[in-house]
Amino acid sequence: MDNLIVIGIILAGIIILLVAGMYIHSILLTSGVVGLILLEGFDFLPGLLGNEPFNRVASYTLTTIPLFVLMAQFILQSGLVQDIFYIVHRASKGKNSLLGVLTLMVGGVLGAVSGSGTATAASLGQVAMPELRKHGYSPELAGAVAASGGSLSGIIPPSIILILYGVATETPVGSLFIGAFIPGILVMVVYILVMLVYFRIGLKKQPINKEERAVPEIAATVEEEQKPSIFKLIVSSIIAILIMLIIFGGIYSGIFTPTEAGAVGAFVGLLAALVLGRVNLRFFRDSLFETVKLTGMVMLIMIGAQIFGRFVSLSLLPRTLIGFLEPIMGSPVLVLIAISTVLFVMFMFIEGAAVILMSIPVIFPIIQEIQVDVLWFGVFISVICTIGLITPPVGLSVYAVAGVSGIRSESIFKIAFVFAAVAMLVVCGLLIAFPELATWLPASAD
Amino acid sequence: MDTLWKTYRAFNCIKLAGIWISGIFLLIMMGFIVYDVIARNLFAGSINGGFEIVQNYFMPLVVFPGLAYAYSSGVLPKMDLVIERIPENAQRLLVIVMILIELFVLLLLVQFTWQFAMNGLEREEGFPAAGRLYPLYPLFFLIPISFALIAIENLFLLIRNLAVKEPTLLMMGEDQEAEDPT
Amino acid sequence: GEDEAGGGAEGEETITLRAATGLSAQHAWWEGAMVPWMERVEELTDGQVEFETFTGGELVSVPDEGKAVLDGTIDVGIILPIYQPDQFPMAEVTMLPLSYSNTEIASNAWRQLLESEEELADGQTYFDMQFADFKVFPISTTQEYSISTTGKEFNTVEDVVGTSLRTPSRIHEVYAEKTGIDSVTMPAVEMYDALSRGAFDGSFYSIADWSGYGFQDLFTYTLTGVNFGHFNAFIGMDEERWAELPEDVQEAMVQAHEDIFGETISIWNERAEEMVAENEAAGGEFVDFADLDPAVQEHFNEGIVETWVDYAELLESNGLPGYELVRTWRDLIIEEGGEVPEAVMDL
Ligand code: NA
Ligand code: NA
Repeated sequence: MDNLIVIGIILAGIIILLVAGMYIHSILLTSGVVGLILLEGFDFLPGLLGNEPFNRVASYTLTTIPLFVLMAQFILQSGLVQDIFYIVHRASKGKNSLLGVLTLMVGGVLGAVSGSGTATAASLGQVAMPELRKHGYSPELAGAVAASGGSLSGIIPPSIILILYGVATETPVGSLFIGAFIPGILVMVVYILVMLVYFRIGLKKQPINKEERAVPEIAATVEEEQKPSIFKLIVSSIIAILIMLIIFGGIYSGIFTPTEAGAVGAFVGLLAALVLGRVNLRFFRDSLFETVKLTGMVMLIMIGAQIFGRFVSLSLLPRTLIGFLEPIMGSPVLVLIAISTVLFVMFMFIEGAAVILMSIPVIFPIIQEIQVDVLWFGVFISVICTIGLITPPVGLSVYAVAGVSGIRSESIFKIAFVFAAVAMLVVCGLLIAFPELATWLPASAD
Repeated sequence: MDTLWKTYRAFNCIKLAGIWISGIFLLIMMGFIVYDVIARNLFAGSINGGFEIVQNYFMPLVVFPGLAYAYSSGVLPKMDLVIERIPENAQRLLVIVMILIELFVLLLLVQFTWQFAMNGLEREEGFPAAGRLYPLYPLFFLIPISFALIAIENLFLLIRNLAVKEPTLLMMGEDQEAEDPT
Repeated sequence: GEDEAGGGAEGEETITLRAATGLSAQHAWWEGAMVPWMERVEELTDGQVEFETFTGGELVSVPDEGKAVLDGTIDVGIILPIYQPDQFPMAEVTMLPLSYSNTEIASNAWRQLLESEEELADGQTYFDMQFADFKVFPISTTQEYSISTTGKEFNTVEDVVGTSLRTPSRIHEVYAEKTGIDSVTMPAVEMYDALSRGAFDGSFYSIADWSGYGFQDLFTYTLTGVNFGHFNAFIGMDEERWAELPEDVQEAMVQAHEDIFGETISIWNERAEEMVAENEAAGGEFVDFADLDPAVQEHFNEGIVETWVDYAELLESNGLPGYELVRTWRDLIIEEGGEVPEAVMDL
């Protein structure tokens, strides 16, 4: 069958299945398999399908995914986040706007030790939201702060998105981590500024919110009862600082590679939980199950994306697309704006890792054709992906916060979308105007 | 229906065993890499062939045994904004069609990955590490097994959707851990 | 796949062949061997044969090209048999360390080994024993492998012992073990990062291949004048697929291979010269083996001999003609102008 017809059929099929609510990995598998059958018949399928699952999974670099997630799980289950947030709460006593700023910064710090955004968002939702609401934040704004703070894990290294991009494009993950550092901080700063504006507006119409403010008082009393001891707080802060020092110090001094940092991080997280006295069978069960589930999810999507990618290659879709884009290929900025618009829309609807994995077979050849820096591009789409974690209709960070706080996700999205839109315009604009924001650090680190 | 649930509980035990296997190998992999780092920095050198062993043994053992459990846990992303807004009858039909498609693709995968594994067995495929060959083909069999488990999960889902009115892609709720026998 | 569409010379059916490699499109074996070969084939068949190409793992990853050719996923590919010692245990023979050789010597010897009519065992030639499923077009080997470090120098035997180097093949691992070098294995993609942060000392690598990962800016000390083997490859097709091709197409392919074989050798040499110049400009130092302390030379040479014996024994223990093979390889290398340590001559 003619390639273009097959591409048309498959694209239509993907959209129908997406709307019908099929699992993303199944859509990728199905469209890949059906596309290959239409293009090549049944004969080639065994060769193309049989070895992909094993080859995709048997990768040293991919150990970072289960291990960074395990580290995040160990840290979350150890109660470290709660303790740290208690300190933040104390530090910002009486300064209500500072509490929001510090919450976002805690999100940034957690981002630096955790690979996955939703886990961080959920724990921020649990511990930070009652405090925020007690200090005059509307429930929606508090939810948006927790969700956007948690989403920062997507860009502040270590980040699963950066790892997946590095693996899929053979870009050194370490360089990507370093390159994402400044843009990650920028996203955080933008979130802080937008949050401050919202907080000011909210203060002016505060009387309306009286009724809602009754609820958090209860949460606050609970909080008072569970007040951790000073000794434990000191231990927690020392452990938190130690974890960061070990991971980043270890990578930069060459004691271990960014890949190995996953294992070291998880190990340190386990030690921390041991010191804090939180290790028991349930601790292991919860952290291991969560980690294996998340890893299984990423791997299923990766396997699907790999088979879909084989179809994309054989259909010559990237070449067709490059031909189609020919009139604007001479102007990389236009191509980039087109690509980032498409990606932004995809990240709105689809989970981030899935977007990266399914779009790279198509987009990467175009990126190489217009000679855009591969490292810069990885950082760039990770920023878009991070922002996508808080955009409607599918924003996993917002879902996580809504899930643990009981606030409707629609109302959080209303504010979170503004966070996202401003960050998208400012940070992506800056990245296009000054690519050095992503490339300068990795270049000088060598 | 009762028999269905009884059978499913038994099946669930297999999946639970799988995720524990994955979890335990994850811990071992963590320890192995940490030891490798320590050995390289403090003692003579890294574990010979450590990198290949992690890649070829640990990763498949961490990922595949737990795959069926992960699949049935509700963690897999999908876009369910539209489907939640259409009439239940139409939803149910869609879900059944999707399960059938999924089963078709899964059975292809089971067949081809099984062929791949048998092929590997025939050629006694291995990988070189630290100057010697390690057998690789036994691990290939993990893949058809884990995909077959997912196919079985889908069979249960198919029966459930045919029997019960309310459409679903999950046998148990997302909080299924609460009812786990562990 | 084969397209029915016409448009070839004199109304003949156009044959579209799918060609792939897991290597990057800039790799010397693709750019310097496969592409010229395909262009020459298209030329010689007046466009009757066309190639649809896939590089960088877009369709097949290293080292799956061989399998992909045999199961029909692709029609032709660059096959790197050294990566699969379980399937092609005798392919690593070209990685055996030598006293002297260069790309041309090793390439010619590799080609002769593949095309040799001489039987190794049971009436079978080297080709029969390893690659009988394939139609094989030998291409040049890499330039010789050297040891490069990010600063570690080999002034005494103690310096050598305990140095940690990345070992890209099984033979290097054996050699490292014999000489007290700690072997580190990690993907080449991660190597730059790990080396630049001092995670280990250096690597066995061919100078011409540095550019792929930017090693010309990283290594500061490279030992030349002793040689840690040559990586080999060939352009491969499935034997049956090959037999189906029209005779004139087969002839064109053989002729095209004849025409490009020499060209391919020179691309490695050009790349090596570029890399040496860039590395020296960045402060890199190249040290000749002959200028090393005699005890250090002796240490390295002993390792060479032991590696040959070890490899031959390994093959023999698997029922393969190990000694016959290494002697054949040694003689081919000598014939082409290469050198091996005295003790290897006595094997
Ligand atoms: Na992170
Ligand atoms: Na989104």
